[in-house]
Amino acid sequence: MNTNYLPSGFLPIVVQFVLALGFIVVTMIVTHNIGPSRKGKVKDDPFECGIEVVGDARTPISVKYFLVAILFVLFDVEVIFMYPWAVNFKKLGMFGFVEMVLFMSLLLAGFYYIIRKGVLKWEE
Amino acid sequence: MYPIILLSFLGIVVLFLGFAKSKAILLPATLLFLAVALVGNFVEWNQGTIIYFYNMLAVNNLTLAFNGIVLVSAFMIVAMTRGFQDDDEAQPAEYYAIMLFSLVGAFMMIGFENLIMLFLGLEILSVAMYVLTGSDKRNLRSNEAALKYFLMGAFATGILLFGIALLYGATGSFTLTGIQAYIGQGNPSYLLYGGLLLVLIGMLFKVSAAPFHFWTPDVYEGAPTIFTAFMATIVKTAGFAALFRLLSHSFTGIYDYWWITLAVITVLTLLVGNIIAVYQDSFKRMLAYSSISHAGYLLIALTAMTPQTENSILFYSMAYSVATICAFGVLIPLAREKAMTGKPRETYEAFNGLARNNPLLAFVLTVSMLSLAGIPLTAGFWGKFFVFGSAAERGIIWLLVVAILMSAVGIYYYFRVIMAAYMKEGDTAEIRVAPFYKIVLVTATIITLLFGIAPGLFTGLV
Amino acid sequence: MPVTLLVLIPLLPLIGFLINGIGFRHIPKGAVGLIGSLAALGSFAASVAVLLAFKEGGSQPMIVSLFDWIKVGELNIPFSFQVDQLSLLMLMIITGVGSLIHIYSIGYMKHDPGFGKFFSFLNLFLFFMLLLVLGSNYVIMFIGWEGVGLCSYLLIGFWNKNTDFNNAARKAFIMNRIGDLGFLLGIFTIIHAFGSVEYTEVFRQATGLPVGDHVVFAITMLLFVGAMGKSAQIPLYTWLPDAMAGPTPVSALIHAATMVTAGIYMVIRSNVLYTLAPETLEIVAVVGAVTAIFAASIGLLQNDIKKVLAYSTVSQLGYMFLGLGVMAYSASMFHVITHAFFKALLFLGAGSVIHAMSDEQDIRFMGGLRKKLPITFITFAVATWAIAGLPPFAGFFSKDEILAHAFEHNKLLWGIGVLGSALTSFYMFRLLFLTFFGSFRGTHEQEHHLHESPAAMTIPLVILALLSAVGGFIGVPEALGGTHQLAEFMSPLFDTARQVNPEAFAATALTHSEEWILMAVSVAVALIAAVIAYVMYISRSAVPAPESEARTGVENVVYHKYYIDELYDTVFVKPMKSLSGVLSSFGEFVIDLFVEGTGKLVKGLSNLGRQTQTGSIGYYVFAMVVGIVVILFWNLLLN
Repeated sequence: MNTNYLPSGFLPIVVQFVLALGFIVVTMIVTHNIGPSRKGKVKDDPFECGIEVVGDARTPISVKYFLVAILFVLFDVEVIFMYPWAVNFKKLGMFGFVEMVLFMSLLLAGFYYIIRKGVLKWEE
Repeated sequence: MYPIILLSFLGIVVLFLGFAKSKAILLPATLLFLAVALVGNFVEWNQGTIIYFYNMLAVNNLTLAFNGIVLVSAFMIVAMTRGFQDDDEAQPAEYYAIMLFSLVGAFMMIGFENLIMLFLGLEILSVAMYVLTGSDKRNLRSNEAALKYFLMGAFATGILLFGIALLYGATGSFTLTGIQAYIGQGNPSYLLYGGLLLVLIGMLFKVSAAPFHFWTPDVYEGAPTIFTAFMATIVKTAGFAALFRLLSHSFTGIYDYWWITLAVITVLTLLVGNIIAVYQDSFKRMLAYSSISHAGYLLIALTAMTPQTENSILFYSMAYSVATICAFGVLIPLAREKAMTGKPRETYEAFNGLARNNPLLAFVLTVSMLSLAGIPLTAGFWGKFFVFGSAAERGIIWLLVVAILMSAVGIYYYFRVIMAAYMKEGDTAEIRVAPFYKIVLVTATIITLLFGIAPGLFTGLV
Repeated sequence: MPVTLLVLIPLLPLIGFLINGIGFRHIPKGAVGLIGSLAALGSFAASVAVLLAFKEGGSQPMIVSLFDWIKVGELNIPFSFQVDQLSLLMLMIITGVGSLIHIYSIGYMKHDPGFGKFFSFLNLFLFFMLLLVLGSNYVIMFIGWEGVGLCSYLLIGFWNKNTDFNNAARKAFIMNRIGDLGFLLGIFTIIHAFGSVEYTEVFRQATGLPVGDHVVFAITMLLFVGAMGKSAQIPLYTWLPDAMAGPTPVSALIHAATMVTAGIYMVIRSNVLYTLAPETLEIVAVVGAVTAIFAASIGLLQNDIKKVLAYSTVSQLGYMFLGLGVMAYSASMFHVITHAFFKALLFLGAGSVIHAMSDEQDIRFMGGLRKKLPITFITFAVATWAIAGLPPFAGFFSKDEILAHAFEHNKLLWGIGVLGSALTSFYMFRLLFLTFFGSFRGTHEQEHHLHESPAAMTIPLVILALLSAVGGFIGVPEALGGTHQLAEFMSPLFDTARQVNPEAFAATALTHSEEWILMAVSVAVALIAAVIAYVMYISRSAVPAPESEARTGVENVVYHKYYIDELYDTVFVKPMKSLSGVLSSFGEFVIDLFVEGTGKLVKGLSNLGRQTQTGSIGYYVFAMVVGIVVILFWNLLLN
């Protein structure tokens, strides 16, 4: 296989890149200018089935959702470590077992910590 | 090696101690743990270079000495926290645990042998710092500082990671020796240069070198003072230890390539740090710029990269850390006292008449300012002397000229503090300081003076 | 030589500092003065003992290593003291004059609330000054150098209630820092070139270099910048007149007798290097000569008694550098010694006057004090006689030796020196006449209060007066049939320098008659200047403006009688006065513009730089990205 590339060899890629970019830019400019557009207060309002808009779309959400979500990701991802261990269980032997027990105990310590901290109590 | 394991474990212990009824036990427990880690650190003293975990970490006298500086600094800072007992919002157990964990990150940075460890250590340290910066939850400035630090820090980390990836792409290795071997073969690829530059930029951000220093004043000012002290000393020491390790172990082969870039950044950092500091009214902001300028002095030693560099950086970090801890240590009780009476808290005026109200604090402050300014018979003078000496040895005289000029500018703003303390009239209210707090400050002052009079005691150690 | 004795010399003042500093406000005043003065006296006694031991031991220079200090790589810096002729002479001056000034301060500062603080600072100053001259390498010298600067800063701002005084202190410190910058760079260049900072080692290596070596030129120039700052030479001299804000004993000790001569000490110490760099010596000589005449001419117009003395100090230091520049090292040292005597005396005398005048420093409000302060008057007159360079007092011998060497070297420098000598004589006699002669011009209260100072103040005056009178006899030139004991004593110091540049140390080519003529010329010039001063300020009783407008009828008659005065006035005095005015206003303006402009520039830059800190993250990130792009662009594409 030829592994010696010259800068000129990349020219087709550059051409392709420029064409792709050009197409997008040209289309956007052209559509923007060709189509008729009418602006007005009513016209710019968001449409919600005829109901008038109330308040801001960005309402604050309780931080508990985020906490639970992040904890889920944390423990979920950490459990992934179990799979390679399970696959290589025999090969890793006692060493792997001790390491895994250590890992799990750390994980459990964390779990105990969040319970004691009351993170999982929804009703507060 | 031992302090990494010890502090990882003891950090969790501190976390669980927080569930005890009385929070009073936290402070002594944390101090005890730090002392244990300090003892554990020096178990491996004088045993040559030991490599751990398949070329992940290395331990030798130099890394142990840096660990020691970090641990002692942490000990002093923790001792000054007074257990966060006067603040209902505070979460002392978490703060202490995070500090201990962050030290683990610092140790990894100091002794990394594999770039992955550098990244890991840096992240452990940085994430801990983001949290601590925002720990004053009710304070808008603290929140803003944390967010700024996080956003910019994440940006810098991304660049660092990209750099590591490029280095791997060029050399096919993450280890320092692997990269060194690749450079030794000669004719390295462009990717290597790009990778080196990006890694350097990422690291320079962490030690707040110009033009990547912009976060420093805002973050230092916004963070609770105690954590500012933590940031100013431990992050800087670890950052420079890591930079030194990276450059001296892997990239001496292409010194001619990177030294000019580093020299220019050094000059810029010195100029920015010292010159802008002149105009500050807030003591904390001044210390932030002072920390930038000290990064500049430390960079001189890196730029020169002579056999003396490791000693210079070690000594300088020690002198700078101890003096900075003293400076913040004086500010904390003072600001608290002034806050009660509604007076300006962190400006120079806060120090007015300090010599009359509390001569001890004034003395500690004076010694620390003299040390930061590099006046003889303080440790700071020798730090500068060694750093400048390494530049002289390399023969980069123009850099030396800039550095010495800027150190003269430094006198101006450091002496403003001393003048405020001794020559201006202020309130007569006495400032009370706990005995233990006093012991820490006095010890730090003694260290500054001792190594100022007999620097050989320290340089003879390593 | 007993090492303990040597260590005691700097240790005693340090102990004095610690006792008085820690016990400030707790130790009674009597004890404070006693401790401070005893520390200085003990140090003096130890110095004398060391000097005697040195002479007994055959005058062999020796290095006493106290402990290993720092070892960084190849560079080894021991903490050791060097005892040789130079350090011994400096020791004698510092501890001797220092002790007298300590004793004097007991009387002078008696009513000051900061009495204890004052003595502790004074002791600390002695400690650093002794370190400076005792150290056997440039690093110890630098530490002493910075230390005395710090003490000077503390003592200038001693009466820190006054903002002007604080500014003066800061100005002194910052100007000294500029000088220190040169010194520090010089040290690093020495490290770079010789790999050592020990005097003996550096000079040993330097002997192998040719005359006019570039590195040595750079080193000597950088060291000289340091000396310019510390010894107040153009353009770094303006701090010294401002430094007069400090208490008068401080002016006597630090800003006349000891600290400001550190620059001369440094050059003499490095005489081997300077001998190797004739270009630097040329510059040193010119700077010295210009400073000598420049400062002297400014002194003509000053009305503050301490300011006159301050400019006079700057001018005398200029003479010393002139001497160094023409390689009359031992003559310069001679002048350092005699100057220490008579200038300390002048300042202490001025202090005594100020003390009597209830803190009045303007000579226009003095006059006729000789009856009320007889001891002060006599001693002050002796010092004036000495500084004017009139025989047989000390200043005559030392100044003439410098001028003789200058004549040999370059006639123009000699001319400037002689002119400066005339000016010196004029303003000093003017000061003397205005202060002690004529009638009293102050308020009645002041007149009522006039008194001779207590014994603690007058005894040092008398001792110093004796020294100013006879001090010159340690260096009587051969032409006058004496032996130059000082030059013989110091001669071994220059052995190495003689070796590298033998012709520079050739015996004088002047015949005795030529030397006599030179002496006669400078004495005559000084005498004429003194007579002019006499005519103007005694016969004519002229008092500087604005009082001069209100002359009585009698004085007017006198004024007209001496018609020749007007001639003098137009030919000599008026041009000189206007020149002095121009120099002091324009010259100082330019220098201040330069120095303060630098400060302003830094502040302006600081303000500009501060504005880059907008607080917006977007902007910060943008700045970072620009930084990254520039670095990458520069390194990857341009390199």
